[in-house]
Amino acid sequence: MNSPALLQSRRDRVLTAMADADLDVLVLGRQDDANFASGMHRLWTAGTRPFGAGCIVVRSTGRTHVLSSWDAGLPATMSPDDLYPSTWNPRVMTGHMSSVPGLADAKRIGVDEVSPSFARAAARIAGNAEVVAADDVMARARRHKSPEEIELIRRACAVAWAGIDAYLDEPGIGVAGLVEAIAAAGVTIPSSAPLIRPLPDRHHLDVGVMVEGYEGGVGDGFVNGTRLDRRDLWKACVPGATHTDLAGAARGDWLVRGLGMGYERPVLSESVGHHETLEAGMVLSVGDGEQRDVVAVTDNGPQRLSTHP
Amino acid sequence: MTALLVLMHAGTMNAATAPPLPDLARLRRTRLDRLQSEMRRQEVDAAVLLHPPHITYATGFVPEAVDASQLVYHRPVAIVPAEGPPRLHVHEPVGETTDLDAIIGAPLWPELDEGIDALTGAIHTVVGDLDGRRVAVDAITGAMARADVFAGAELHDATRVLGPARLCKTDDEVACIEHAQIINERAMEVARRRCVPGARRSEVAGAFLAELRSLGAHHNEIDPIFQVMPRRLADAVTTDKGAVAFPTGIEDPVFDEGDLVWVDAGHGYEGYASDFGRTWIVGRDPDEAERQAFLEWLQVMDETVAAVRPGATLGDIGRAATAANGGEPPWLPHFYVAHAVGLDSAEMPMVGSDLGEDFDDGFVLAEGMILVLEPVIWHDGVASYRAEEIVVVTGDGCRMLTSHPGYDPYERPATTGSTP
Repeated sequence: MNSPALLQSRRDRVLTAMADADLDVLVLGRQDDANFASGMHRLWTAGTRPFGAGCIVVRSTGRTHVLSSWDAGLPATMSPDDLYPSTWNPRVMTGHMSSVPGLADAKRIGVDEVSPSFARAAARIAGNAEVVAADDVMARARRHKSPEEIELIRRACAVAWAGIDAYLDEPGIGVAGLVEAIAAAGVTIPSSAPLIRPLPDRHHLDVGVMVEGYEGGVGDGFVNGTRLDRRDLWKACVPGATHTDLAGAARGDWLVRGLGMGYERPVLSESVGHHETLEAGMVLSVGDGEQRDVVAVTDNGPQRLSTHP
Repeated sequence: MTALLVLMHAGTMNAATAPPLPDLARLRRTRLDRLQSEMRRQEVDAAVLLHPPHITYATGFVPEAVDASQLVYHRPVAIVPAEGPPRLHVHEPVGETTDLDAIIGAPLWPELDEGIDALTGAIHTVVGDLDGRRVAVDAITGAMARADVFAGAELHDATRVLGPARLCKTDDEVACIEHAQIINERAMEVARRRCVPGARRSEVAGAFLAELRSLGAHHNEIDPIFQVMPRRLADAVTTDKGAVAFPTGIEDPVFDEGDLVWVDAGHGYEGYASDFGRTWIVGRDPDEAERQAFLEWLQVMDETVAAVRPGATLGDIGRAATAANGGEPPWLPHFYVAHAVGLDSAEMPMVGSDLGEDFDDGFVLAEGMILVLEPVIWHDGVASYRAEEIVVVTGDGCRMLTSHPGYDPYERPATTGSTP
């Protein structure tokens, strides 16, 4: 469970971003957005779910409301009154949402994704509201990481290393042993599929995990148990760096993207992110060919969080 | 080598007892036929699909089982016309998907504003001008909404065409589910041996996940649940309806001897979900009260399974379960006594959910429907038992897809009859 101070700061960032975008209410369907805004700890399932109101943030009350039939996993920053129970019945769901204080008379409701049926339901619940896309509002709230978040990401990277170290010690354990070593560190949630590729002259490994809601990972070629560490793209991740700068520093297929409570913005690769500029406070997954690092962009230069612990 | 072949080579199963492997080409063809027939029946011109189970149903492509945030950005997109091959846009190397009957397109970025032109172009390639067309959609990202990608079209939820198409499973779909279940049960045998006093939940989960990998399976869909259940409701976290909260999936306890552990896990084969549910006791055999709860559960399960046949309503199934439990509904009120699995881990039909009795009484079972029955026996202060069995509705009854490993550490007495 994340600290109350971190939970409070994340909620404040969401409320500020809502005020900037003139949103009265946010309805969040994505697990990572809901987790960011509320801190409610819940069962992990793989893959995306159909859009539904997993979390509702109301600016006038400053409250976050979460879809849950129980208060297990409730963070200290929420009260059991902030929960609305899960249901299979769309009519019941409409009733639950209608009872969230501040929702029925909202003028602007932001959603991080939407489905045709939710758009119709929103019109019934808040008749005067305009429903607008707010994925960008959440992206802004999540764009810069606090020192505590950077530390959580560093710890998640260390868990990824626990798997890699176990494999390097004994390659015979394969991906099964790598997964088991990560579980021995208390972690059973992957961010990406663990990759082990034995090549004639090296082993290509890439591991990503979710620890306390935050992602960590590392990837590279390894020879005799030693990381090759031959690419310098991560060193180009400085405040003000542009797509052109990163494309110029990359030597292989590259992907630089935000990393925090999972995969985040900005996203820059050969094909996307042409208008993005890196800023201090961002944390990035920086991939160039087989090498992948997690890097904090700071005014004092790039700081690698994915070095061997 | 597929996981099933691994099992057969390991000598735990031979060709005579192993269920038939799915014919994947036939599976893909049949699903696309069903979907497009449903689209034509409802005069839907095209479906634009971002939800992984929908993409798998339309194209056969199975997105990786990874954190949702990764999939959101590296989203596959399927665009399905009412006739003719679908288009599939994926981020993975095309080589792995060339055997699909879909036209493979370049990766799309529907999450990003700058990805929208390419998405719009791909949709227009399949559908042409959207003006006045009926389009089924499952997710509209912020970038898609800002650009009003579907301007002029009449939009419908994709479940409207995919729901009816997916309801009755073909033999190949059933084979996928059965195959997924066998692997799940096999991996759980390894996990159960590790569920001993002093072990931590994450270690047991790790043993399960590692064994899945050893069996060649890589599509784990849920952080596996090994939840220690309190004996008394008064000691438990409860739901808004006053029942025990399960599955919370948030604790990482160290197990003690005598802990009652409710187990629940699902992994997929070709995208089709399995559903393992059992109750374990840590470090010892069940005592008399625990065995009694299990026997009652067996009776509820047997009598409920006996009610499953084509023509029965969901209401009939719920009433059979309730009657077998002395008039009390034997299930967690925030769930159901049964749900289906398919490309989703919980899908229609559902029995005893808060959709209500009228819904259940109006829904008639047909051949090919799946039910995962999950009754719960709760003797407050004493013992509880929960487990799950999967059945498929056949021409004249149903067939069980589970129970290969039995109920360790409980034992079904010979006198209660054979497994239905």
